[in-house]
Amino acid sequence: MDLAANDLRLHRGRFMATVVGVGLLFTIVLAMNGLYRGNIQEGLALIRSVNPDLWVVERYRGGPFNEQSTMPEAYHYNVKAISGVERASPFIYYAVERQVKGRNRHFSIVGFDIFEGVGGPQKIYAGRNIARAHYEMVAHPKLGVKVGDVVTLGLHDYTVVGLTKEAVSTDGEALVWLSLPDAQEVLYQKDNEEIRAQRESLLRDLDKQTYLSQGQAEKLSASLPPDTHIINAVLVRLTPGADHAEAAGEIKNWLYLSAFTTGEEVQLMLQGRLSSMSKQLLLFRTLLLIISVVVLSLVVYTFTMEKIRSIAVMKLIGAPNGVVIRMVLEESLLLTIAAFLLGVLIIQNTYQLFPRTILRVPADDIVTFLIAVAGGIFASILGLWEALKTEPALALGT
Amino acid sequence: MEILRVEGLSKIYGSGHLEVRALEDINLSVSDGELVAVLGPSGSGKTTLLLCISLILDPTGGTIIFDGRSIFQKDGWTGVDIRRMRREKIGFIFQSHNLIPFLTARQNVLLPLSLVGSKKEVAEGRVRELLEYMEIADRADFLPALLSGGEQQRVAIARALANDAKLILADEPTAALDTARGTRVMELLRRIAKERRAAIIVVTHDVRMIEGFDHVYHLKDGRFVREAEGPTGAAVRA
Repeated sequence: MDLAANDLRLHRGRFMATVVGVGLLFTIVLAMNGLYRGNIQEGLALIRSVNPDLWVVERYRGGPFNEQSTMPEAYHYNVKAISGVERASPFIYYAVERQVKGRNRHFSIVGFDIFEGVGGPQKIYAGRNIARAHYEMVAHPKLGVKVGDVVTLGLHDYTVVGLTKEAVSTDGEALVWLSLPDAQEVLYQKDNEEIRAQRESLLRDLDKQTYLSQGQAEKLSASLPPDTHIINAVLVRLTPGADHAEAAGEIKNWLYLSAFTTGEEVQLMLQGRLSSMSKQLLLFRTLLLIISVVVLSLVVYTFTMEKIRSIAVMKLIGAPNGVVIRMVLEESLLLTIAAFLLGVLIIQNTYQLFPRTILRVPADDIVTFLIAVAGGIFASILGLWEALKTEPALALGT
Repeated sequence: MEILRVEGLSKIYGSGHLEVRALEDINLSVSDGELVAVLGPSGSGKTTLLLCISLILDPTGGTIIFDGRSIFQKDGWTGVDIRRMRREKIGFIFQSHNLIPFLTARQNVLLPLSLVGSKKEVAEGRVRELLEYMEIADRADFLPALLSGGEQQRVAIARALANDAKLILADEPTAALDTARGTRVMELLRRIAKERRAAIIVVTHDVRMIEGFDHVYHLKDGRFVREAEGPTGAAVRA
């Protein structure tokens, strides 16, 4: 005879209410598990997708994703000259907010050398890759565009030639791939009016230089266009068999730049930008699990206290402690398991509605389930304590 | 055959100036098929006596011989498995029925049988037989809350009989019932004692309910007192 099941059947209203309440808490825990995984996946998606042998960035910087890194575009020629380097491709990455199809969109732009190919999208599921040097783009569908759409970025219009789900930005936003010069122009090219204003400002400064004539100053100010040939990193492919550490060492020593393997770049992100978010989510998950256990404890305690006289009767008619322990423990576990299953059911049917990626990993569910079961057992301790110290004499009203 | 013999039983709570002598020099004997009443006002020690006999409370002194075996002497319980003895050989009936509220009438009677590990078919048959014996088989699948007070008490009696208990201890079994229902319960107990050969000790303060009992013990301030005549004509012991 299953005493716990019978008791819960009698109190099914409260049982269901508890299951729903704790189940929703478990839903949030499971959502945060997925958010944590999604945060890591999104944060590393572009790094893993590009996956060069080396990321060469500004010296003493952990760029280009974990922190800002800038260097002249021409540096990629220097990198290419290092022994063991087969290809060295300039790369630029930055976040923007622009109007796309009448809506403000926050997204990131990747600029890559379309002829070298390193850094560009690999898996186009609609349309094609960028084939022309200018005014073509490949976008993530999150941007809300389709192949053939025209998007205005800065001074020019860009046609969407392909769509890919290969990667998102480190913040989980859409990615847009442009050719390197286009990406540089979108980022650095100033509005004509602003260029004129800058020139006038420069001319005023040059006029103060007594060694320059008026004509020389005017010529000089017009010949100093804003420099758009800036990149964030150089992506390196090594020749087969080349030693990563050796090539990285040469780049560091001879070019005064930093060089990381993709693995090191991943670690930089995990220990830097992604770590605080991960810690935050871990803390939230821990707090929610504690709250779930506290709620379960209180409910199991209340259930137990309500039948303390029945427990006394059972003891009086000779029920061993094991029967009482089993009843209390089983109730706690039934509540925990039912609530967890409800949590799984809810998150499984809603995770795609979350704005950030919720990455469902079965192993996370199993670990959370085991923690929940341990919590359910822990939650029954208070009730068990009361049940075990109940004297059979209580059944006789003494 | 003698089922229970109690000799010189005493129970003292506290010590020094807080000492309370709940029971003192209690002598009692019950044989199978006998119906014994312990009468006494509130606070006279009736329930303490039941608790000591049922191995729940440690007596302070005396001897208890149950089913031919000395189970308590002045040094304590004599290596007896108290819980096992309670679930296999003693049945309890309480004043407020004390049925398990989340089990049906059938399950309440089944509980003691499942505690001793009876086979399912055997246990189910036994429960059916007992509920029919108590004329309550048609209410077998009702929860206690849906039964009347008299029906609940009959289920409680069926539960006490489930394991063919040699000794049934009833604590004010009619206290929560009206006179008519109380009388019926007492008739039932008399029938059980006669037909099932169980030794039954009923603790009560209601003298109207002990008609036809084999022996009546009067308890006052923890001692049995002799009375010139039993209130119902039963043999009065001291």
